[in-house]
Amino acid sequence: MPETLVQIEQKAPRGDWRDPHVEFRKGSICYSAAAKNLGALSLPNPRAWQPMDADWKLPPDWKRIVLDGMKERLKKYRSFRLFMDICVRCGACADKCHFYLGSADPKNMPVVRAELMRSIYRRYFTLTGRLFGSLAGGRELTEDVIKEWFYYFYQCTECRRCSVFCPYGIDTAEITMMGRELLNLIGCNTNWVLEPAANCFRTGNHLGIQPHGFKDSIDFAAEEASEITGLDIEVPINRKGAEVLFVMPSADYFGTPHYYTLLGYLMLFREIGLDYTVSAYASEGGNFGLFSSHEMMKRLNAKIYDEARRLRVKWILGGECGHMWRVLHQYMDTMNGPADFLEVPVSPITGTVFENARSTRAVHICEFTADLIHHGTLKLDPRRNDHWIATYHDSCNPARAMGLLEEPRTILKSVCRNFHEMPENTIREQTFCCGSGAGLGTDENLEMRLRGGFPRANAVKYVKEKHGVNLLTCICAIDKATLPTLLEYWVPGVEVAGVHELLGNALVMTGEKERVADLRGELFAPEAHSVGSASEASHA
Amino acid sequence: MSVSGAVSEIVAERWVERTLAAYPAEILPFLSGEHDRFRNPVGQVIQESLTTLARELLGAMDNRATAPAIDALVRMRAVQDFSPSAALRFIFDLRPVIAEVCGEVTPQLESRIDELALMAFDRYLACREQIASLREKELRVRALSPAR
Repeated sequence: MPETLVQIEQKAPRGDWRDPHVEFRKGSICYSAAAKNLGALSLPNPRAWQPMDADWKLPPDWKRIVLDGMKERLKKYRSFRLFMDICVRCGACADKCHFYLGSADPKNMPVVRAELMRSIYRRYFTLTGRLFGSLAGGRELTEDVIKEWFYYFYQCTECRRCSVFCPYGIDTAEITMMGRELLNLIGCNTNWVLEPAANCFRTGNHLGIQPHGFKDSIDFAAEEASEITGLDIEVPINRKGAEVLFVMPSADYFGTPHYYTLLGYLMLFREIGLDYTVSAYASEGGNFGLFSSHEMMKRLNAKIYDEARRLRVKWILGGECGHMWRVLHQYMDTMNGPADFLEVPVSPITGTVFENARSTRAVHICEFTADLIHHGTLKLDPRRNDHWIATYHDSCNPARAMGLLEEPRTILKSVCRNFHEMPENTIREQTFCCGSGAGLGTDENLEMRLRGGFPRANAVKYVKEKHGVNLLTCICAIDKATLPTLLEYWVPGVEVAGVHELLGNALVMTGEKERVADLRGELFAPEAHSVGSASEASHA
Repeated sequence: MSVSGAVSEIVAERWVERTLAAYPAEILPFLSGEHDRFRNPVGQVIQESLTTLARELLGAMDNRATAPAIDALVRMRAVQDFSPSAALRFIFDLRPVIAEVCGEVTPQLESRIDELALMAFDRYLACREQIASLREKELRVRALSPAR
């Protein structure tokens, strides 16, 4: 027998975390950005390369570029400097990262991931580090460190679960964001982030759908919603003078199961007679700039507000999107705000003033709908969702970045009779990420996504076994795109849906034809068949 | 508790220790010390699966119990950073553990360990095939999108 066959390693290699060497293995990394996409966005160092290559073809003065970039950002962002300085290594964040929990890789402890950058900060930007180097916790900036940054900063979904537990409030996602910004300066970026950003820059949405394609998709959805309800449903596009500009993630009009959520929105808007328009230019709620640099995020975010100004709307209503809300809620105001050319949003149906959106003038569809339900303005028949036993995944950004915890639950509990929460330490502020956000949701990275998504799936499995849950609801387009794969692997038999899909099922519209099937075309449970009758429907 | 129950507990305990030793040292205290199944899913899957398998190995060897336990553990290790041999090594760790606890590995136990190993091979391959097919499915969806 060849000797190699019996020489099987029993233990994982024990290494020092300061050793930057990482192994890039297909299946657990994202591929590099195509040169054409860097060119489209005027980003530096476009070239053909892959993370598995030995030579990354960095610019000759890459080290100076990175250190200058770090210096500039330390000066520009007080938070960055603070986060580099104040960590006391208490370890509260250590076991909170879904990638750490799923992969058991110590460098995925948020504190260690941040330390990958802090060690460079110490070495080059602190007196003790400059004098004593590694004795003061510093590391030399080498090409291997750049590769290590690439590996780990593109292995963080910027979900901010760790930040919830940090006693100092260190937003570890911002350290990842800084890491990616610095990598971008020398052309180390991933295609799954830059292609959507380039598309968005060019056509207004991640998928690169041009205006006529956008119109076709929206018209198709409007037709289908009309067929389902027997009502005439039209969707205004680029209509000047509408009260509300509705912006959704592009996946809503081109992905499944997102599309059923879109049908839900359209039916809701028709029923309440909302004076709104969608836009072929602001045809993307998502903002992949968030995953590359502040400048890119600002450029893409500006499109929504430019369009709101051009169309002379009063305020913006946003769809079920995740990171759109991190950008709008936490960065928009200082990037492109204040949006004082718009009005403070007021629900035209209930008169509710959305004080929380006084600055950004953008309201989340769940806030809007929960308010409608709270005021009893919708006729709902939750029996139409009796074929679903639902649970709710708090999508990271709406939950942690804007505190949207109760509104989706208010909707779900009004439109669905079978609803069960997952365990307390896996939902709300402590929600586990899908493992595919922040530009990691590509097929070539599937193994890493399955690791990162394991803690979430584990909680779904629990409610499936305990309550028979067969539907995971959420309010993020990336969740809807990636959770089906995750669940197929870890918890087969559980499907994924948006909250407004279930609303669309339950919504009893004035003058609608008798409905026998849900928005997916699946027949309602037998006792829910006569649901067209207003007397049987409940006012929420 | 019966004698075989007590023995299976000791076997499971040592088996878990050996299996966990394949993970980096920094994470071991957490994997073995955190008992909340939602805070520590990896540690709990290892603990629960190996406890079930040890009990069945020294007991009835009921397929209805062993199959889900093998699946849960192998499914997880199939996506972690292990080579195929390292991912399935935990089965072969049973021999030294049983020899240590029971003094010897009887021919019946030998054959049961082999049976578990074969089940684990099947599950591992099924998981890897599923990953490939899920990837292919996502690629197909991507190919249909208008931008790519």
